[in-house]
Amino acid sequence: MSDWGWVAFAYAVAYGSLGVFAGSIAVRIRNTRRSIGETE
Amino acid sequence: MTTGFWHQAAAVVHRDLLRERRRGDVLWITIPFGAIALLLVPLAVGTDAILLRQIGPGMYWVIVMLFGVLVSVGKASNETLPQQDASALLGLDPASGFVGRATSATLLLLIFEMVVGVVAVGLYDISIIGIPWLIVTLIIVAIGLALLGTLTGSIVNSTSAGTALVPLLVAPLSVPLLLGATQSYEGLRLGHSILSWVLLMVAVVLIVAIIGVLTARPLQEM
Amino acid sequence: MQAQTRNRQWPWVAIVLSLAVAFTLSMVSPADSVQGDLVRIMYVHVPAAWLAYLAFFVTFVGSVGYLITKDLRWDRIAAASAEIGVYFTGLAIALGMIWAKPTWGVWWTWDARLTLTAIMFFVYLGYLALRRTTDDPVVRAGRSSVLGVLGALQIPLVHFSVVWWRTLHQPPSLVRPDGPAIQDPLMLTALTVGVLAFTVVYGSLMVKRIELIKLDDRKVAIEQSIERPVAGEAVTVPDLGASS
Repeated sequence: MSDWGWVAFAYAVAYGSLGVFAGSIAVRIRNTRRSIGETE
Repeated sequence: MTTGFWHQAAAVVHRDLLRERRRGDVLWITIPFGAIALLLVPLAVGTDAILLRQIGPGMYWVIVMLFGVLVSVGKASNETLPQQDASALLGLDPASGFVGRATSATLLLLIFEMVVGVVAVGLYDISIIGIPWLIVTLIIVAIGLALLGTLTGSIVNSTSAGTALVPLLVAPLSVPLLLGATQSYEGLRLGHSILSWVLLMVAVVLIVAIIGVLTARPLQEM
Repeated sequence: MQAQTRNRQWPWVAIVLSLAVAFTLSMVSPADSVQGDLVRIMYVHVPAAWLAYLAFFVTFVGSVGYLITKDLRWDRIAAASAEIGVYFTGLAIALGMIWAKPTWGVWWTWDARLTLTAIMFFVYLGYLALRRTTDDPVVRAGRSSVLGVLGALQIPLVHFSVVWWRTLHQPPSLVRPDGPAIQDPLMLTALTVGVLAFTVVYGSLMVKRIELIKLDDRKVAIEQSIERPVAGEAVTVPDLGASS
């Protein structure tokens, strides 16, 4: 794999995992708000 | 065995996986435990790359045998006595209960093997060879170890037993699986035939499965 | 209501903006004379590692804060930081491995810093595993804060032992996790901006993660406070019209 390939792999891992991590927090917040019954 | 048997077993699998999803014992405790064991070994024996590549595969399978069996043990998989009574009263066939619990343990063990396997490959620089047979080995070991752990758990069936009793009982009985797995990897590496080792592991699986199913009801009635 | 929803989303906006800036700089900065373009991986690996240690320190501070004040807000800070810390520790290790493979041909080396980071990862993980064992916020906070303090105070000892071990058994001198020092000003800027951007990411994630903890605790409190009438209350004496 070329150097740029490794760089692309690294950034995909970094930003992809960050997106998943942040997204899971957002989803859990939304679901918990719904189950508490908040409508804000 | 009627179709009800497999339905019940499937329901037990579903319940066990739900429990794992809620408690997360395997994901958060057993897998990290196996992984850190792999991390500690080179701190103790030295980090020479050649040495680690030599002991890596063996260390991995030892960790699977000793730590992987923990997925069959513990609060998530053992039912309390009242829960067992409830299952019996509901007409749950103990044999299908056994098959169900062994199946869910197999699935969790497969996850354990894969995650801990990635850690082992990374830390010990193990080369992965003969992928199809490797997958077969992983599956057979998972089934065999899950059966051993589930059956031993049913035999012990006591909340006052120490946490190490089931692993203690399983460890010597898991030797055929350990040797089969490690010799299979060696054989693949050297290009030998590994069929005899694979058949040995399959024999373990069949014997434990049959004993487990046949003794499920007697064990429940004890 | 619209304004409230918009206000609550600012952390996500902050994350996207700061990462966009950092990414741009990482891509336009020059390649390294020795490492070539692989140096760009450092612009995410080093910030992730910095955050791992920062988050760990914040967990320690939160644990001490709770033990002293018994105010659950400290515990929420400790817990949120631990979870975010686990993530960044894991990411730092993964990115370090992705950098190491094309550079040295191996995924992993047993130098002191990497080994210590791996050990820290498991300390965090254990902290999170402990928190999962109880729902009661007060009990959970008490246990976690003791473990948080224990883990943090042990880390210097772990650090010394690992460094001492490595000096006794010198790894090959080629193997330095950071590679050659970065000197070009544009590259230094890319690195610094990366660290700043990730710090913004950490802060934003903390805000949101603490919000989630508060919501979860509120949900548990609601579920436990629902009064379930005893069956007998469903049966009332029939009113036969007799005057009392």
